[in-house]
Amino acid sequence: MDGRSPLEILIEEGEQINPAILLAEEFMRRDAADLLVAEEIQRAEEILYNARTEIDVIRRQVTAFERSPAHPSPELPLGF
Amino acid sequence: MSAALGLAISHPLSFDERLSKSIEYLSYKARSHDANAAYDYVSAIVSEQQKYALYKEMFPKEWSCSRASLYRRGQYEKYSERVNELFHLINERCFPLLEFAHDDPESEFEHFAIPPLNVDLCCEEIYFDNLRTSYAAGLIFYFPDEAWEFLNERLKVSRGAFPEINSDPHPNVWNRKSGSLLGELLRLIDHSTGNPWLDSNYCQTADWYSWDRETIDELTKEFKAANEVFERLGCLDEQIEADPKKMLSALINFWNNGRLPDQRRVKRKRRWRKIQ
Repeated sequence: MDGRSPLEILIEEGEQINPAILLAEEFMRRDAADLLVAEEIQRAEEILYNARTEIDVIRRQVTAFERSPAHPSPELPLGF
Repeated sequence: MSAALGLAISHPLSFDERLSKSIEYLSYKARSHDANAAYDYVSAIVSEQQKYALYKEMFPKEWSCSRASLYRRGQYEKYSERVNELFHLINERCFPLLEFAHDDPESEFEHFAIPPLNVDLCCEEIYFDNLRTSYAAGLIFYFPDEAWEFLNERLKVSRGAFPEINSDPHPNVWNRKSGSLLGELLRLIDHSTGNPWLDSNYCQTADWYSWDRETIDELTKEFKAANEVFERLGCLDEQIEADPKKMLSALINFWNNGRLPDQRRVKRKRRWRKIQ
């Protein structure tokens, strides 16, 4: 650990929309009769791969978070 | 509105098709933009686009004349009407794609199995009356009691009039280069022809196939070859029915000793020429 709290780490994480959502929007707007060429198919497959990886990473993190035992904090959170 | 939907005025889409596209777009926009849903949507688009490319390549004339929608769902609901049209074209002109467990509208064809053309000797009950004479004769090596009973009834031949049958066949039986009809018959019954349409059964179907030109062409070629095997058996049926004693002796001799009478080769060559 580099001394940052979990909350700080979370806040500093980069935010991005899953690439499959962006590609879905792009595909929605194109005419299906304009067939995708090989390069476009390859690009889509790469994006799908990255999208799936991101989905799996988040899923694993959520699972790990759910398995984490409850831990008492030394400080009372604001408002309690 | 049309600009917002990405529908340029110059697009040559019919009103009907533009409407279908708009409905598709709006129903997508109305759903939650969940990454999993987007992933499934993009996968479906890529899959359909690959099939459109295959359609255009394999059936260019039909593609250019087609009025089937690229957006509306077809009989197989996971695919557009146009992709459904491709399925039917392949089913009619290449091989029976839709006959085997594909009559469910929710079927997926991303990877598909093919229906076995051979008799299922694994778990199914064998109805000898429905078999070709030659096929029934070949079963004396696998189901001797039932096969001899059938042959006795059909051709008036009894097991005692023939030599004992070895438990294992002579290695020549598996030699595809011999070009003999008897060998072809025995390999067909053994489900070891090398042809996926003939070597699979309902317990253990052939591989799952994917959508690419090479696979479709290969399955088409093998389907034609499988039907030719059955056509050639017609010749053997005639020979067995004409002289059952002689032909069954030849078959048993081939199984036991791997020897073929020259006549078998000659007759097959003649038949081949006839077919061609």
